[in-house]
Amino acid sequence: MREVCVIGTGLVAFGKYPNKTLAEIGWPAVKEAIVESGVPPKSIDAVYCGSALGGMLSGQRVMKSLGLTGMSIINIENACSSSSSALAEAWTAVSSGRHDIVVVVGVEKLTKFGGGTLPLENEDWEVNQGMVMPALYAMRAQRYMHEYGLTARQLGEVSVKAHEHGALNPNAQIRKRVSIEEVMASRPVADPFTLWHCCPTGDGAAALVIASADVARQHKANPVRVTASEVTSGLYTNGYRDMTWAELTARGAKEAYEMAGVGPDDIDVAEIHDAFTIAELMYYEAFGFCERGHAYELLSSGATSLGGDICVNPSGGLLSRGHPVGATGAAQAVEIVRQLEGRSGAHQVEGARVGLAHATGGGISGLDHGACSIHIFAR
Amino acid sequence: MTKSGTLVVNQAAADADPRFVAPDLVALDSKGAPRLIGGHCRKCGAASFPRAAVCTNCMSEDIETVELAHEGTLYSYSIVHQAPKGWAVPYALGYVDLPSNIRVLAHLDAAADRIVINMPMRLAIGVVGADPSGKPLLSYTFTPV
Repeated sequence: MREVCVIGTGLVAFGKYPNKTLAEIGWPAVKEAIVESGVPPKSIDAVYCGSALGGMLSGQRVMKSLGLTGMSIINIENACSSSSSALAEAWTAVSSGRHDIVVVVGVEKLTKFGGGTLPLENEDWEVNQGMVMPALYAMRAQRYMHEYGLTARQLGEVSVKAHEHGALNPNAQIRKRVSIEEVMASRPVADPFTLWHCCPTGDGAAALVIASADVARQHKANPVRVTASEVTSGLYTNGYRDMTWAELTARGAKEAYEMAGVGPDDIDVAEIHDAFTIAELMYYEAFGFCERGHAYELLSSGATSLGGDICVNPSGGLLSRGHPVGATGAAQAVEIVRQLEGRSGAHQVEGARVGLAHATGGGISGLDHGACSIHIFAR
Repeated sequence: MTKSGTLVVNQAAADADPRFVAPDLVALDSKGAPRLIGGHCRKCGAASFPRAAVCTNCMSEDIETVELAHEGTLYSYSIVHQAPKGWAVPYALGYVDLPSNIRVLAHLDAAADRIVINMPMRLAIGVVGADPSGKPLLSYTFTPV
Protein backbone atom coordinates (compact mmCIF):
# COMPACT_ATOMS: atom_id res chain seq x y z
CA MET A 1 0.00 0.00 0.00
CA ARG A 2 1.29 3.48 -0.86
CA GLU A 3 1.30 6.45 1.44
CA VAL A 4 -1.50 8.93 0.68
CA CYS A 5 -1.39 12.70 1.25
CA VAL A 6 -3.86 15.56 1.10
CA ILE A 7 -2.77 18.35 -1.25
CA GLY A 8 -5.88 20.46 -1.57
CA THR A 9 -8.90 21.44 0.52
CA GLY A 10 -12.07 23.33 -0.23
CA LEU A 11 -15.07 24.25 1.87
CA VAL A 12 -18.35 26.06 1.38
CA ALA A 13 -19.47 27.49 4.72
CA PHE A 14 -22.39 25.44 6.00
CA GLY A 15 -25.67 27.33 6.04
CA LYS A 16 -28.99 27.62 4.25
CA TYR A 17 -28.89 27.90 0.48
CA PRO A 18 -32.48 27.13 -0.55
CA ASN A 19 -32.12 28.96 -3.85
CA LYS A 20 -29.04 27.08 -5.00
CA THR A 21 -28.95 23.64 -6.59
CA LEU A 22 -26.86 20.83 -5.15
CA ALA A 23 -24.32 21.38 -7.94
CA GLU A 24 -24.17 25.11 -7.24
CA ILE A 25 -23.46 24.37 -3.58
CA GLY A 26 -20.83 21.77 -4.43
CA TRP A 27 -18.64 23.09 -7.24
CA PRO A 28 -16.97 25.99 -5.37
CA ALA A 29 -15.58 23.55 -2.80
CA VAL A 30 -14.15 21.32 -5.52
CA LYS A 31 -12.66 24.25 -7.43
CA GLU A 32 -11.03 25.61 -4.28
CA ALA A 33 -9.47 22.22 -3.50
CA ILE A 34 -8.14 21.77 -7.05
CA VAL A 35 -6.70 25.30 -7.22
CA GLU A 36 -5.09 24.85 -3.82
CA SER A 37 -3.54 21.54 -4.86
CA GLY A 38 -1.93 22.99 -7.98
CA VAL A 39 -2.63 19.82 -9.98
CA PRO A 40 -3.71 20.23 -13.60
CA PRO A 41 -7.46 19.48 -13.58
CA LYS A 42 -7.00 16.98 -16.41
CA SER A 43 -4.71 14.89 -14.20
CA ILE A 44 -7.56 13.96 -11.85
CA ASP A 45 -8.02 10.22 -12.16
CA ALA A 46 -11.27 9.81 -10.26
CA VAL A 47 -13.91 11.53 -8.14
CA TYR A 48 -15.63 10.07 -5.09
CA CYS A 49 -18.74 12.02 -4.08
CA GLY A 50 -20.54 11.51 -0.78
CA SER A 51 -24.12 12.65 -0.37
CA ALA A 52 -26.85 11.12 1.74
CA LEU A 53 -29.93 12.77 0.30
CA GLY A 54 -28.66 14.57 -2.81
CA GLY A 55 -30.20 12.09 -5.21
CA MET A 56 -28.85 10.33 -8.27
CA LEU A 57 -25.49 11.29 -9.82
CA SER A 58 -24.61 14.01 -7.32
CA GLY A 59 -20.93 13.82 -8.23
CA GLN A 60 -21.56 14.17 -11.96
CA ARG A 61 -23.84 17.17 -11.31
CA VAL A 62 -21.08 18.89 -9.34
CA MET A 63 -18.21 18.00 -11.68
CA LYS A 64 -19.95 18.92 -14.93
CA SER A 65 -20.42 22.43 -13.52
CA LEU A 66 -16.64 22.72 -13.65
CA GLY A 67 -16.38 21.01 -17.02
CA LEU A 68 -14.42 18.17 -15.44
CA THR A 69 -15.90 14.91 -16.66
CA GLY A 70 -14.91 11.69 -18.32
CA MET A 71 -12.98 10.21 -15.41
CA SER A 72 -14.41 7.65 -13.01
CA ILE A 73 -17.05 9.37 -10.83
CA ILE A 74 -18.41 7.23 -8.00
CA ASN A 75 -21.31 8.33 -5.80
CA ILE A 76 -21.45 7.08 -2.24
CA GLU A 77 -24.38 7.14 0.18
CA ASN A 78 -23.62 6.11 3.77
CA ALA A 79 -25.80 8.49 5.81
CA CYS A 80 -23.72 10.82 7.99
CA SER A 81 -20.58 8.96 6.93
CA SER A 82 -21.18 9.47 3.20
CA SER A 83 -18.26 11.74 2.34
CA SER A 84 -15.93 10.19 4.94
CA SER A 85 -16.72 6.86 3.29
CA ALA A 86 -15.97 8.55 -0.05
CA LEU A 87 -12.61 9.61 1.38
CA ALA A 88 -11.95 6.06 2.53
CA GLU A 89 -12.72 4.68 -0.94
CA ALA A 90 -10.54 7.37 -2.51
CA TRP A 91 -7.75 6.52 -0.08
CA THR A 92 -8.02 2.86 -1.08
CA ALA A 93 -7.87 3.75 -4.76
CA VAL A 94 -4.70 5.81 -4.33
CA SER A 95 -3.08 3.60 -1.73
CA SER A 96 -3.55 0.51 -3.88
CA GLY A 97 -1.89 2.18 -6.86
CA ARG A 98 -4.99 2.25 -9.03
CA HIS A 99 -5.08 6.05 -9.11
CA ASP A 100 -2.56 8.82 -8.39
CA ILE A 101 -4.77 11.91 -7.94
CA VAL A 102 -8.35 11.73 -6.69
CA VAL A 103 -10.97 14.31 -5.73
CA VAL A 104 -13.26 13.69 -2.76
CA VAL A 105 -16.35 15.82 -2.39
CA GLY A 106 -19.18 15.83 0.13
CA VAL A 107 -22.27 17.82 -0.75
CA GLU A 108 -25.74 18.11 0.72
CA LYS A 109 -28.82 20.29 0.48
CA LEU A 110 -31.18 19.68 3.39
CA THR A 111 -33.18 22.90 2.97
CA LYS A 112 -35.10 21.11 0.22
CA PHE A 113 -36.91 19.21 3.00
CA GLY A 114 -38.12 22.41 4.65
CA GLY A 115 -36.64 21.89 8.13
CA GLY A 116 -37.49 19.63 11.05
CA THR A 117 -35.86 16.33 11.92
CA LEU A 118 -33.93 14.46 9.25
CA PRO A 119 -36.19 12.33 7.03
CA LEU A 120 -35.60 8.66 7.81
CA GLU A 121 -36.44 5.50 5.88
CA ASN A 122 -40.12 4.65 6.34
CA GLU A 123 -39.52 0.96 5.67
CA ASP A 124 -37.75 0.85 9.03
CA TRP A 125 -40.10 -0.52 11.69
CA GLU A 126 -38.81 1.78 14.42
CA VAL A 127 -39.31 4.83 12.21
CA ASN A 128 -42.87 3.59 11.74
CA GLN A 129 -43.31 3.63 15.50
CA GLY A 130 -42.18 7.24 15.84
CA MET A 131 -38.40 7.05 16.01
CA VAL A 132 -36.57 10.27 15.15
CA MET A 133 -32.84 10.89 15.44
CA PRO A 134 -33.09 13.24 18.45
CA ALA A 135 -35.09 10.57 20.32
CA LEU A 136 -32.47 7.89 19.66
CA TYR A 137 -29.66 10.05 21.07
CA ALA A 138 -31.95 11.31 23.85
CA MET A 139 -32.54 7.73 25.02
CA ARG A 140 -28.77 7.23 25.12
CA ALA A 141 -28.51 10.40 27.17
CA GLN A 142 -31.26 9.35 29.59
CA ARG A 143 -29.65 5.98 30.20
CA TYR A 144 -26.19 7.54 30.56
CA MET A 145 -27.59 10.05 33.07
CA HIS A 146 -29.27 7.20 34.95
CA GLU A 147 -26.10 5.12 35.14
CA TYR A 148 -23.48 7.81 35.72
CA GLY A 149 -25.38 10.61 37.47
CA LEU A 150 -24.80 13.14 34.68
CA THR A 151 -27.26 16.06 34.79
CA ALA A 152 -28.98 17.76 31.87
CA ARG A 153 -27.19 20.96 32.77
CA GLN A 154 -23.79 19.26 32.66
CA LEU A 155 -24.75 17.78 29.30
CA GLY A 156 -25.62 21.27 28.09
CA GLU A 157 -22.05 22.39 28.71
CA VAL A 158 -21.05 20.41 25.60
CA SER A 159 -23.12 22.86 23.57
CA VAL A 160 -21.60 25.87 25.33
CA LYS A 161 -18.10 24.62 24.43
CA ALA A 162 -19.09 23.87 20.83
CA HIS A 163 -20.43 27.36 20.30
CA GLU A 164 -17.42 29.00 21.93
CA HIS A 165 -15.34 27.29 19.26
CA GLY A 166 -17.81 27.90 16.43
CA ALA A 167 -17.94 31.62 17.21
CA LEU A 168 -14.28 31.74 16.19
CA ASN A 169 -14.77 29.85 12.91
CA PRO A 170 -15.82 31.99 9.91
CA ASN A 171 -17.11 28.82 8.21
CA ALA A 172 -19.46 27.81 11.03
CA GLN A 173 -23.20 27.81 10.41
CA ILE A 174 -23.92 29.19 13.89
CA ARG A 175 -21.40 31.82 14.96
CA LYS A 176 -22.99 32.67 18.26
CA ARG A 177 -21.87 31.91 21.79
CA VAL A 178 -24.58 30.50 24.05
CA SER A 179 -24.71 30.46 27.83
CA ILE A 180 -25.73 27.40 29.81
CA GLU A 181 -28.88 29.32 30.81
CA GLU A 182 -29.78 29.82 27.13
CA VAL A 183 -29.16 26.14 26.42
CA MET A 184 -31.42 25.08 29.29
CA ALA A 185 -34.18 27.60 28.46
CA SER A 186 -34.48 26.90 24.73
CA ARG A 187 -37.42 24.89 23.44
CA PRO A 188 -37.53 21.16 24.16
CA VAL A 189 -36.81 18.75 21.27
CA ALA A 190 -36.51 15.33 22.96
CA ASP A 191 -35.84 15.24 26.70
CA PRO A 192 -33.21 15.92 27.96
CA PHE A 193 -32.39 17.80 24.75
CA THR A 194 -33.42 21.36 24.13
CA LEU A 195 -32.77 22.95 20.75
CA TRP A 196 -29.17 23.87 21.61
CA HIS A 197 -28.36 20.22 22.36
CA CYS A 198 -29.05 19.40 18.69
CA CYS A 199 -27.04 20.15 15.56
CA PRO A 200 -28.71 22.38 12.99
CA THR A 201 -29.61 21.05 9.55
CA GLY A 202 -28.48 22.92 6.48
CA ASP A 203 -26.59 22.87 3.22
CA GLY A 204 -22.93 22.84 2.34
CA ALA A 205 -20.01 21.16 0.66
CA ALA A 206 -16.40 20.25 1.28
CA ALA A 207 -13.73 18.76 -0.94
CA LEU A 208 -10.21 17.37 -0.85
CA VAL A 209 -7.62 16.44 -3.42
CA ILE A 210 -5.58 13.45 -2.33
CA ALA A 211 -2.57 11.95 -4.06
CA SER A 212 0.09 9.32 -3.67
CA ALA A 213 3.00 10.64 -1.59
CA ASP A 214 5.40 10.85 -4.55
CA VAL A 215 2.92 12.83 -6.63
CA ALA A 216 1.91 14.93 -3.61
CA ARG A 217 5.49 16.02 -2.97
CA GLN A 218 5.79 17.33 -6.54
CA HIS A 219 3.08 19.83 -5.67
CA LYS A 220 3.52 20.51 -1.99
CA ALA A 221 6.33 20.47 0.57
CA ASN A 222 5.55 18.49 3.70
CA PRO A 223 1.96 17.55 2.84
CA VAL A 224 -0.43 16.19 5.47
CA ARG A 225 -0.39 12.39 5.40
CA VAL A 226 -3.44 10.15 5.85
CA THR A 227 -2.19 7.59 8.35
CA ALA A 228 -5.44 5.71 8.94
CA SER A 229 -8.59 5.32 6.86
CA GLU A 230 -11.36 2.96 7.78
CA VAL A 231 -15.11 2.37 7.57
CA THR A 232 -17.12 0.00 9.73
CA SER A 233 -20.82 -0.77 10.10
CA GLY A 234 -22.94 -1.31 13.17
CA LEU A 235 -23.51 -4.80 14.57
CA TYR A 236 -27.10 -5.98 14.19
CA THR A 237 -29.13 -7.24 17.11
CA ASN A 238 -32.82 -7.10 17.90
CA GLY A 239 -31.93 -7.74 21.51
CA TYR A 240 -30.42 -5.83 24.38
CA ARG A 241 -27.68 -3.28 23.77
CA ASP A 242 -25.74 -1.05 26.15
CA MET A 243 -26.78 2.37 24.85
CA THR A 244 -24.23 4.17 27.05
CA TRP A 245 -21.34 2.69 25.06
CA ALA A 246 -20.62 3.66 21.43
CA GLU A 247 -19.56 0.16 20.39
CA LEU A 248 -19.29 0.95 16.68
CA THR A 249 -17.07 3.98 17.22
CA ALA A 250 -14.93 2.18 19.80
CA ARG A 251 -14.35 -0.68 17.36
CA GLY A 252 -13.49 1.73 14.55
CA ALA A 253 -11.20 3.74 16.82
CA LYS A 254 -9.25 0.63 17.76
CA GLU A 255 -8.75 -0.25 14.09
CA ALA A 256 -7.77 3.30 13.17
CA TYR A 257 -5.28 3.62 16.04
CA GLU A 258 -3.67 0.33 15.03
CA MET A 259 -3.45 1.36 11.41
CA ALA A 260 -1.85 4.72 12.24
CA GLY A 261 0.35 3.28 14.98
CA VAL A 262 -0.89 5.84 17.49
CA GLY A 263 -3.05 5.89 20.61
CA PRO A 264 -5.47 8.36 22.16
CA ASP A 265 -2.64 10.21 23.94
CA ASP A 266 -1.08 11.07 20.56
CA ILE A 267 -4.13 12.92 19.21
CA ASP A 268 -3.73 16.71 19.34
CA VAL A 269 -6.99 17.66 17.66
CA ALA A 270 -10.16 15.73 16.79
CA GLU A 271 -13.31 16.45 14.86
CA ILE A 272 -15.87 13.99 16.20
CA HIS A 273 -19.52 13.44 15.42
CA ASP A 274 -21.36 15.57 17.98
CA ALA A 275 -24.77 15.47 16.32
CA PHE A 276 -26.23 15.81 19.83
CA THR A 277 -24.49 16.75 23.07
CA ILE A 278 -24.44 13.23 24.53
CA ALA A 279 -22.64 11.97 21.43
CA GLU A 280 -19.54 14.03 22.13
CA LEU A 281 -19.29 12.68 25.69
CA MET A 282 -19.84 9.07 24.64
CA TYR A 283 -17.22 9.42 21.91
CA TYR A 284 -14.63 10.76 24.37
CA GLU A 285 -14.96 7.37 26.03
CA ALA A 286 -15.08 5.35 22.80
CA PHE A 287 -11.88 7.01 21.56
CA GLY A 288 -10.17 6.38 24.89
CA PHE A 289 -9.71 10.06 25.71
CA CYS A 290 -11.02 9.12 29.17
CA GLU A 291 -12.40 6.13 31.08
CA ARG A 292 -16.06 5.12 30.84
CA GLY A 293 -18.33 7.38 32.84
CA HIS A 294 -15.73 10.15 33.11
CA ALA A 295 -16.46 12.14 29.96
CA TYR A 296 -17.97 15.09 31.79
CA GLU A 297 -14.88 15.39 33.98
CA LEU A 298 -12.77 15.57 30.83
CA LEU A 299 -15.02 18.26 29.35
CA SER A 300 -15.16 20.35 32.52
CA SER A 301 -11.37 20.12 32.93
CA GLY A 302 -11.02 22.15 29.73
CA ALA A 303 -8.87 19.45 28.13
CA THR A 304 -11.13 19.26 25.08
CA SER A 305 -11.47 23.04 24.65
CA LEU A 306 -9.14 25.22 22.59
CA GLY A 307 -5.92 25.40 24.56
CA GLY A 308 -6.50 21.97 26.14
CA ASP A 309 -4.44 18.81 25.63
CA ILE A 310 -6.87 17.14 23.23
CA CYS A 311 -8.97 19.80 21.53
CA VAL A 312 -12.24 18.29 20.30
CA ASN A 313 -14.20 20.05 17.57
CA PRO A 314 -12.30 23.32 17.27
CA SER A 315 -14.50 24.07 14.23
CA GLY A 316 -17.55 24.09 16.48
CA GLY A 317 -18.41 20.55 15.46
CA LEU A 318 -21.77 19.50 14.11
CA LEU A 319 -23.48 21.52 16.85
CA SER A 320 -22.05 24.82 15.62
CA ARG A 321 -20.31 24.33 12.27
CA GLY A 322 -23.46 22.55 11.11
CA HIS A 323 -24.35 19.14 9.73
CA PRO A 324 -25.40 18.88 6.09
CA VAL A 325 -25.27 15.13 6.55
CA GLY A 326 -23.34 13.90 3.51
CA ALA A 327 -20.93 16.86 3.53
CA THR A 328 -19.87 16.50 7.17
CA GLY A 329 -17.12 13.87 6.85
CA ALA A 330 -15.27 15.80 4.14
CA ALA A 331 -15.64 19.05 6.11
CA GLN A 332 -14.13 17.39 9.18
CA ALA A 333 -11.20 16.16 7.10
CA VAL A 334 -10.71 19.65 5.62
CA GLU A 335 -10.74 21.09 9.13
CA ILE A 336 -8.12 18.65 10.43
CA VAL A 337 -5.84 19.12 7.42
CA ARG A 338 -5.97 22.91 7.81
CA GLN A 339 -5.34 22.57 11.56
CA LEU A 340 -2.23 20.48 10.90
CA GLU A 341 -1.11 23.06 8.34
CA GLY A 342 -1.56 25.83 10.92
CA ARG A 343 -4.14 27.66 8.79
CA SER A 344 -7.10 27.79 11.16
CA GLY A 345 -6.79 31.36 12.38
CA ALA A 346 -8.73 32.19 15.53
CA HIS A 347 -9.63 28.56 16.21
CA GLN A 348 -6.14 27.16 15.53
CA VAL A 349 -4.96 24.37 17.83
CA GLU A 350 -1.37 25.44 18.42
CA GLY A 351 1.25 22.91 17.42
CA ALA A 352 -1.22 20.26 16.25
CA ARG A 353 0.64 17.42 14.54
CA VAL A 354 -1.77 14.47 14.70
CA GLY A 355 -5.49 14.85 14.10
CA LEU A 356 -8.53 12.63 13.86
CA ALA A 357 -11.84 12.91 11.97
CA HIS A 358 -14.86 10.79 12.87
CA ALA A 359 -18.21 10.70 11.12
CA THR A 360 -20.79 8.15 12.18
CA GLY A 361 -24.50 7.87 11.94
CA GLY A 362 -27.55 6.70 10.20
CA GLY A 363 -30.67 5.86 12.16
CA ILE A 364 -31.49 2.22 11.48
CA SER A 365 -33.23 -0.21 13.80
CA GLY A 366 -31.10 -2.94 15.31
CA LEU A 367 -27.79 -1.15 14.70
CA ASP A 368 -25.85 1.21 16.95
CA HIS A 369 -25.49 3.29 13.79
CA GLY A 370 -25.40 2.40 10.14
CA ALA A 371 -21.83 3.44 9.48
CA CYS A 372 -18.72 4.88 11.07
CA SER A 373 -15.69 6.24 9.26
CA ILE A 374 -12.51 7.36 10.98
CA HIS A 375 -9.43 8.99 9.51
CA ILE A 376 -6.18 9.94 11.20
CA PHE A 377 -3.90 12.57 9.71
CA ALA A 378 -0.33 13.51 10.58
CA ARG A 379 2.21 16.04 9.49
CA MET B 1 -42.20 -16.07 25.28
CA THR B 2 -45.10 -18.42 24.63
CA LYS B 3 -45.43 -20.57 21.57
CA SER B 4 -48.50 -19.55 19.64
CA GLY B 5 -51.19 -22.19 19.33
CA THR B 6 -54.31 -20.06 19.41
CA LEU B 7 -52.99 -16.93 17.80
CA VAL B 8 -55.59 -14.83 16.02
CA VAL B 9 -53.73 -12.54 13.68
CA ASN B 10 -55.49 -9.24 13.60
CA GLN B 11 -55.51 -8.97 9.81
CA ALA B 12 -59.28 -8.62 9.47
CA ALA B 13 -59.32 -5.81 11.98
CA ALA B 14 -56.33 -4.25 10.30
CA ASP B 15 -57.92 -4.43 6.87
CA ALA B 16 -61.09 -2.88 8.21
CA ASP B 17 -59.16 -0.23 10.06
CA PRO B 18 -56.24 1.15 8.06
CA ARG B 19 -55.45 3.56 10.87
CA PHE B 20 -53.45 0.89 12.70
CA VAL B 21 -49.66 1.44 12.47
CA ALA B 22 -47.85 -1.76 11.41
CA PRO B 23 -50.76 -4.20 12.08
CA ASP B 24 -48.51 -7.18 11.33
CA LEU B 25 -46.61 -6.57 14.58
CA VAL B 26 -49.62 -7.05 16.85
CA ALA B 27 -52.40 -9.57 17.32
CA LEU B 28 -55.17 -10.12 19.83
CA ASP B 29 -55.11 -13.33 21.81
CA SER B 30 -58.20 -15.47 22.43
CA LYS B 31 -59.21 -13.18 25.28
CA GLY B 32 -58.81 -10.02 23.20
CA ALA B 33 -55.58 -8.89 24.82
CA PRO B 34 -52.86 -7.45 22.55
CA ARG B 35 -49.78 -9.56 21.88
CA LEU B 36 -46.64 -8.68 19.92
CA ILE B 37 -45.89 -11.08 17.09
CA GLY B 38 -42.31 -12.24 16.91
CA GLY B 39 -40.33 -15.10 15.50
CA HIS B 40 -38.61 -18.12 16.98
CA CYS B 41 -36.00 -19.89 14.87
CA ARG B 42 -36.70 -23.61 14.90
CA LYS B 43 -33.07 -24.35 14.05
CA CYS B 44 -31.12 -22.24 16.57
CA GLY B 45 -33.77 -20.87 18.91
CA ALA B 46 -33.04 -17.18 18.28
CA ALA B 47 -35.91 -14.81 18.95
CA SER B 48 -36.81 -12.01 16.59
CA PHE B 49 -39.03 -8.95 16.59
CA PRO B 50 -40.38 -8.01 14.18
CA ARG B 51 -40.61 -11.67 13.10
CA ALA B 52 -37.58 -12.28 10.89
CA ALA B 53 -38.07 -13.89 7.48
CA VAL B 54 -34.57 -15.32 7.80
CA CYS B 55 -32.80 -15.93 11.09
CA THR B 56 -30.16 -13.25 11.75
CA ASN B 57 -28.24 -15.76 13.86
CA CYS B 58 -28.10 -18.83 11.54
CA MET B 59 -29.81 -17.78 8.26
CA SER B 60 -32.46 -20.49 8.63
CA GLU B 61 -35.79 -19.61 7.06
CA ASP B 62 -37.64 -22.01 9.35
CA ILE B 63 -39.09 -19.35 11.63
CA GLU B 64 -42.10 -20.04 13.80
CA THR B 65 -44.52 -17.17 14.43
CA VAL B 66 -44.94 -16.70 18.18
CA GLU B 67 -46.48 -14.35 20.70
CA LEU B 68 -43.93 -12.45 22.73
CA ALA B 69 -44.14 -11.80 26.44
CA HIS B 70 -46.41 -8.85 27.12
CA GLU B 71 -44.50 -7.50 30.10
CA GLY B 72 -41.01 -6.08 30.21
CA THR B 73 -38.70 -3.48 31.71
CA LEU B 74 -38.14 0.06 30.48
CA TYR B 75 -34.50 0.41 29.34
CA SER B 76 -34.65 4.09 28.40
CA TYR B 77 -37.09 6.70 27.13
CA SER B 78 -37.50 10.25 25.94
CA ILE B 79 -40.36 12.70 25.71
CA VAL B 80 -40.36 13.72 22.04
CA HIS B 81 -41.44 17.26 21.27
CA GLN B 82 -40.43 17.50 17.61
CA ALA B 83 -41.44 14.83 15.13
CA PRO B 84 -42.74 14.47 11.58
CA LYS B 85 -46.33 15.44 10.88
CA GLY B 86 -48.88 12.91 12.08
CA TRP B 87 -47.39 12.14 15.47
CA ALA B 88 -49.18 13.64 18.47
CA VAL B 89 -46.37 15.62 20.12
CA PRO B 90 -45.26 15.56 22.79
CA TYR B 91 -45.14 11.77 23.06
CA ALA B 92 -43.15 9.39 25.18
CA LEU B 93 -41.02 6.89 23.32
CA GLY B 94 -39.09 4.12 25.01
CA TYR B 95 -37.22 0.86 24.65
CA VAL B 96 -38.82 -1.98 26.58
CA ASP B 97 -36.78 -5.11 27.23
CA LEU B 98 -38.77 -8.33 27.02
CA PRO B 99 -37.48 -11.70 28.20
CA SER B 100 -35.61 -13.77 25.56
CA ASN B 101 -33.35 -10.85 24.61
CA ILE B 102 -35.89 -8.78 22.68
CA ARG B 103 -35.92 -4.98 22.84
CA VAL B 104 -39.02 -3.22 21.53
CA LEU B 105 -39.38 0.44 20.62
CA ALA B 106 -42.81 1.71 21.61
CA HIS B 107 -44.88 4.71 22.46
CA LEU B 108 -45.34 4.82 26.22
CA ASP B 109 -48.84 5.44 27.48
CA ALA B 110 -47.98 7.18 30.74
CA ALA B 111 -47.68 10.65 32.19
CA ALA B 112 -44.18 11.99 31.57
CA ASP B 113 -43.47 12.54 35.25
CA ARG B 114 -44.40 8.93 36.08
CA ILE B 115 -41.86 7.37 33.74
CA VAL B 116 -38.65 6.05 35.28
CA ILE B 117 -35.91 3.87 33.85
CA ASN B 118 -36.17 0.16 34.81
CA MET B 119 -39.89 0.37 35.64
CA PRO B 120 -42.02 -2.65 34.69
CA MET B 121 -44.24 -2.07 31.67
CA ARG B 122 -47.17 -3.93 30.12
CA LEU B 123 -48.32 -4.08 26.49
CA ALA B 124 -51.44 -2.12 25.51
CA ILE B 125 -53.04 -0.50 22.46
CA GLY B 126 -53.31 3.25 22.22
CA VAL B 127 -53.75 6.27 19.99
CA VAL B 128 -50.33 7.58 18.89
CA GLY B 129 -51.19 10.20 16.29
CA ALA B 130 -53.45 10.95 13.37
CA ASP B 131 -53.45 10.12 9.67
CA PRO B 132 -53.57 12.93 7.06
CA SER B 133 -57.38 12.99 7.22
CA GLY B 134 -57.29 13.43 10.98
CA LYS B 135 -58.41 9.90 11.92
CA PRO B 136 -56.62 8.58 15.01
CA LEU B 137 -53.65 6.30 14.43
CA LEU B 138 -53.42 3.27 16.71
CA SER B 139 -50.40 1.25 17.67
CA TYR B 140 -49.15 -1.06 20.36
CA THR B 141 -47.93 0.88 23.38
CA PHE B 142 -46.50 0.07 26.78
CA THR B 143 -48.01 1.33 30.00
CA PRO B 144 -46.66 1.10 33.57
CA VAL B 145 -47.71 -2.08 35.38
